[in-house]
Amino acid sequence: MFEIPEFWGWLTSPENWEGRYGIPSLLAEHLVLTLAAIFAAGLIAVPLGIVIGHFNRGTALVVLLGSASRAVPTMGLLFALVMLLGVQQRELAVVIALVAIAFSPILAGSYAGIGAIEKHIPDAAKAQGLTTWQLLRIVEIPLALPAIIGGLRVAWIQVVSTVVLAPLVGLSGLGFGIIQGLALRNFDQVVASALMIVVVTVLGDQLLGFAQKTQAFRLGHLSGGNSK
Amino acid sequence: MNWALNNLELVFQLTLTHLLVSLLPLVIGFFVAVILARVTSNRFAPSVTGALGAVYAIPSLALFVTLPVLIGTDFTGPVNVIIALTIYVVSAMFFSARDAFASLPKPTLEFAQAQGLSSWQRFIHVELPLAIPGLIAGARVAAASTVSMASIGAVVGVRNLGYLFLDGFQRKITEEVLTGLLAIFAIAVLLDLALWLLGRALTPWQRGTRV
Repeated sequence: MFEIPEFWGWLTSPENWEGRYGIPSLLAEHLVLTLAAIFAAGLIAVPLGIVIGHFNRGTALVVLLGSASRAVPTMGLLFALVMLLGVQQRELAVVIALVAIAFSPILAGSYAGIGAIEKHIPDAAKAQGLTTWQLLRIVEIPLALPAIIGGLRVAWIQVVSTVVLAPLVGLSGLGFGIIQGLALRNFDQVVASALMIVVVTVLGDQLLGFAQKTQAFRLGHLSGGNSK
Repeated sequence: MNWALNNLELVFQLTLTHLLVSLLPLVIGFFVAVILARVTSNRFAPSVTGALGAVYAIPSLALFVTLPVLIGTDFTGPVNVIIALTIYVVSAMFFSARDAFASLPKPTLEFAQAQGLSSWQRFIHVELPLAIPGLIAGARVAAASTVSMASIGAVVGVRNLGYLFLDGFQRKITEEVLTGLLAIFAIAVLLDLALWLLGRALTPWQRGTRV
């Protein structure tokens, strides 16, 4: 265990850092796919969650969508969409699958963030003469921000893990090294690729966790330190 | 769904493997999480939660193929998948299990102690039964994601329902992929129902008051 592991050689060899299937190119594709899907899902799910939380309507929909989406295997969704849309459309199919996977946690986070605000806070804001729009912008959305980031965090884990499977349907990304390495029984490549995936995923998760904590801490200070 | 009817035996076999590869981690993970949650002191809880949270972020395929380096198993086969899924169940359940124990009514626990129950008796006869609703809620979340994640085990050679995705894609049989999708969804829903019923059966004193 304490000798230099063999996959280190694979990881540091310059030829694995160049070209179409080099590490930088695979990493870029992995991140672009992941972030594009989360961004697209967030564009719809965050406002929708805020509206549902604010008006307290459609709560059952969020809960149902949440439990249903947990039961759907992400791998199956990816494969089914690529087959239904056709292999020529696989980029589109993968993005649709990823957006669908990211949607539910982001919606749940935004809804829960707004829904958890104690009722006297918006009431007090309204009594001060704030319009609905001002209430959302100045009071509710900042208070819900830690939960919204929490939803993005779950979406990040789900989507970035599913992108690892993208090479199975003909795209690339960091999972390419695992899939190719397993097929060629090149286990140094498999382990080196897996470790890169671990670093990228955990780093992203910790970064979002840090943003979440910072925002919650800021809110605690604003309200005199006793906010939950 | 002609394909499914013509390949009923294969689907049945794969379903059995799928159940085995999901249930084993769920049962082991459940008990590990409960014990870990109960014995972790308040001082270490944040670090354990943080570490398990980081582990939970690791994509399953990456964890499946990293385990052989750490514990010396083969790259393919069910052992890594079962161990990895167990780790996910523990990470997913640790927080909710701690919450379930922490939110028990203090007077009840003190009363049990005053009755002369040893801490082990108190755990088995008082804390565990009262924590069941919280533990079951955590197990339901973990169960759905475990059943779904188990399919990725097919990539490292476990012949479960995930095999239908790989095989169906290669042979361009859309129905095969859809069969796998539906079967896994059905298992997740049935398992969720089973856990809900188990929770009800284990907490008869709550009947009528819970939804």
